[in-house]
Amino acid sequence: MKPVLVIGGGIAGIQASLDLADRGINVHLVEKTPSIGGVMAQLDKTFPTMDCSICILAPKMIECLRHHNITIHTQSEVIGLQGNVGDFFVKVLEHPRSVDAKKCTGCGLCSEKCPVKRPSDFQAGLGQRKAIYLAFPQAVPLTATIDRDACLWFTKGVCKTCEKICPANAVNYEQIENTIDLNVSSIIVATGFEQYNPKGIGEYGYGRYKNVLTALEFERLVCASGPTSGILNRPSDGGIAHNIAFIQCVGSRTQTNGYSYCSSSCCMYATKEAVLIKEHEPSSHVTIYYMDLRTFGKGFQGFVDRAQSYWGVKYVRGRPGEIIEDPNTKNLTILYENTEVGKVEKDLVDMVILCTAAVPHRDNEKLSSVLDLRLDEFGFFDTKDPITAPIETNMQGIYVCGSCHGPRDIPESVAEASATAAKSAEDEFRFMVNK
Amino acid sequence: MKVAFYPGCTIQTDQIGYEASVRNIMPKLNTELIDMEGASCCGFSPFSSFNEAAWYYSSARNMAIAERMNLPMLTLCNGCHLSFTETKHVLTKDQVMKAKINEKISREGLIYSGCLELIHVFELFHDKLGEDKIKHVVTKPLTGLKFGAHPGCHAIRPSKLIRPDDSENPKKLDEMIQWLGAETMDYPGKIDCCGSSLASTSGKTVMEMAGEKLKNVKNLGLDGLVTTCPFCFKIFDNRQRAIQSVIRDTSIEIPVFYYTQLLGLAIGLKPEILGLDLNQSPIDAVISRIGGL
Amino acid sequence: MEYKRYKYIRVKGSRISTYGRFSERRPYLIKQRLHNTLKKMNAEVCDQCGKCSSACPVAARIDGFSPRQIIAKICLGKEDELLKSGVIWTCTSCLKCKERCPEEISPYDVILALRRETIKEGRQHPTEYDEMIKTVIETGIAMQPQPARTRKRERKDRASLGLPKIQKPKDQEKYAEAIRELLKEIES
Repeated sequence: MKPVLVIGGGIAGIQASLDLADRGINVHLVEKTPSIGGVMAQLDKTFPTMDCSICILAPKMIECLRHHNITIHTQSEVIGLQGNVGDFFVKVLEHPRSVDAKKCTGCGLCSEKCPVKRPSDFQAGLGQRKAIYLAFPQAVPLTATIDRDACLWFTKGVCKTCEKICPANAVNYEQIENTIDLNVSSIIVATGFEQYNPKGIGEYGYGRYKNVLTALEFERLVCASGPTSGILNRPSDGGIAHNIAFIQCVGSRTQTNGYSYCSSSCCMYATKEAVLIKEHEPSSHVTIYYMDLRTFGKGFQGFVDRAQSYWGVKYVRGRPGEIIEDPNTKNLTILYENTEVGKVEKDLVDMVILCTAAVPHRDNEKLSSVLDLRLDEFGFFDTKDPITAPIETNMQGIYVCGSCHGPRDIPESVAEASATAAKSAEDEFRFMVNK
Repeated sequence: MKVAFYPGCTIQTDQIGYEASVRNIMPKLNTELIDMEGASCCGFSPFSSFNEAAWYYSSARNMAIAERMNLPMLTLCNGCHLSFTETKHVLTKDQVMKAKINEKISREGLIYSGCLELIHVFELFHDKLGEDKIKHVVTKPLTGLKFGAHPGCHAIRPSKLIRPDDSENPKKLDEMIQWLGAETMDYPGKIDCCGSSLASTSGKTVMEMAGEKLKNVKNLGLDGLVTTCPFCFKIFDNRQRAIQSVIRDTSIEIPVFYYTQLLGLAIGLKPEILGLDLNQSPIDAVISRIGGL
Repeated sequence: MEYKRYKYIRVKGSRISTYGRFSERRPYLIKQRLHNTLKKMNAEVCDQCGKCSSACPVAARIDGFSPRQIIAKICLGKEDELLKSGVIWTCTSCLKCKERCPEEISPYDVILALRRETIKEGRQHPTEYDEMIKTVIETGIAMQPQPARTRKRERKDRASLGLPKIQKPKDQEKYAEAIRELLKEIES
């Protein structure tokens, strides 16, 4: 039996891998970053249940690590493909961690002593990491990795503190790239998405005004494992933010500065984050400025109703036109029209959170040319038919699941992951070479 | 550098101080202003709400004059610059309208081809002359002074047509002021409208709009407001007394300058030839700090 | 031409223009001239999000003026209401609505189209425009010279500042004639 290749180690990739592995099929899980987990690992809680995100994700991640049938390749990317369904020949390039995974215990001592700091991708740029770092506390595999562009040894030939200090002697600067050849029967693409960068929307002042954040940055701010340990310190002066506004559809549903589609989960995650704020500080004022409330899933409308009635989150129908900063206090004024009553008003808040669009991952183009897949007009992977074959692609044997082919939330990604696992298994058994 | 000088209506009839300041500083910057003989209104104010063809005709006719002079055309007024830019845009796409306009223009012996280069005040000082040339002519730097820049709506919007500066975070006027040795500061409402188009229909609203901007400038303790558009200047400067009474705040005493006036003072020219006598706002204190009086 | 009666109007939805379909069947509802101009302006895709009104300096200060409502009335076929009221003359042409609209609708251009329609129908409009047009036809520029006074209340004119005479068209009559002809034309 040939193995299956799963590209992308987010919740969709993890779920697909587990489904296949539990059936007895071997899986190669290829992930670009140093740890699997994806965006779900960065979230604080999930809607509509308000489950702690990493708490429900980590068991699945550990299961992937321990499962006999799953081989995880982190810091790896797919660079070549040949063949057909049932008999794909894939080239995977493994980038060197500069740390021996078999020896590293994940103690973190190297990271403590490393002198070089860089903005942390996991903390959405709000916090910092070192040149040698662990992706996050629950990383799988829990192995340190060196960012060679930042490391003093690789850039200037000095330091080597981590090697001296590692109690397990795991640091190995001599590690080189490694190319692996795999022969798989089918491929599942689960590479996920990115967040829109709202710097292009000048009227909201992201990048100019310190207290304007994106939703993912806010998730890290409010999360207990974030840069402020979950205290709502606003970036400009560290004061506790009491009056917070959410602006919906930033970069979505627009013909200018963004994409024309709806990002599907922003209405819900804004409500979730609003409830989180209320849980942290019941006396705070939270307002969500929306165009429509898209609460289509199971339990979604009830979640929003509770946010309004029990938690006291305010919802205003009106897309704000401008954010103005007070140069002294760095407080923000939101100019909006309450379109339900037709009045133009101003609200003064401490912090503004922009609910940014879910946009195609920047590597989609590269991967689509390697795998010979079509991209749609926005840059997401295109499916064979939007109604009757929503997880198949133009290439037989290659399936897509999760947000790599369009914005969707976690339950949808998990369901699609299981669907692609079933399709893969079907291919596996159909094209099985009889020995 | 030689440019065809398009004067517009308001500057010639009302804001003559602005014209005086421009004509007197240009020789110091090695720029020669060639008057456009036969120039008329750009058509924006009287015609844009009435009749598109009359508007495009008025604009295209002036551009035809400059084309014949074979020089780029400098406009001082934001509104005129937008009028010419829009006309150029429309007549590039609509060949039928262009033919109609050219038929009328040809009666005066002119022809509009659409190849004219338009120069706005920002583009002249910031892009064409640039930091080095401006700093080179400054003999009395405006040290210690902090101004607010008012770029004006029509110089920054709509961004679909190429405008002299960015629509949400315009910086060119700020930099031009900084090159004179002064500091600038962003104030809330920097990109807001002065309201001058409403001057006859809803005078009170105009005062409120402009008054809010002046209030923000005052609250930050800035030494003055700087603009390049005669319509905006008229409201902020000539009408400052009226603004005070409408918004009931007599403490709003903000010096308002045309950029070219500040540039003239920094070069070391006398206030009288820069038309500074005609500014109605309390500018004397600022001028004495520059050592101009 | 036969007119059918419809019980209810569905006005907006997708980019497939319901707006266009109606005017083919019910030309009495939308004036053809106005329709031709407004058709290019995408008014029917407006989501009524309110970004235009929230940026509008006039909407913040004057009750009854709101770019969003103007577009809504266009979509509902209520241009007559807009043409009769004076509301379209209170736009200050700051262009923020045009800049900010996520659907690339320009309430400012719609307002200009409505203003031109008002003029063509000979309806009431602010008289300052007539004065400016009269001055342009007589002198080539839109206003008469104003007395300029210094802060010390002294009079100054162009000559005292060393400024040349005001520019005007070499052949004022030809210019005025062209303007008059263009004003008389009714655009189709």
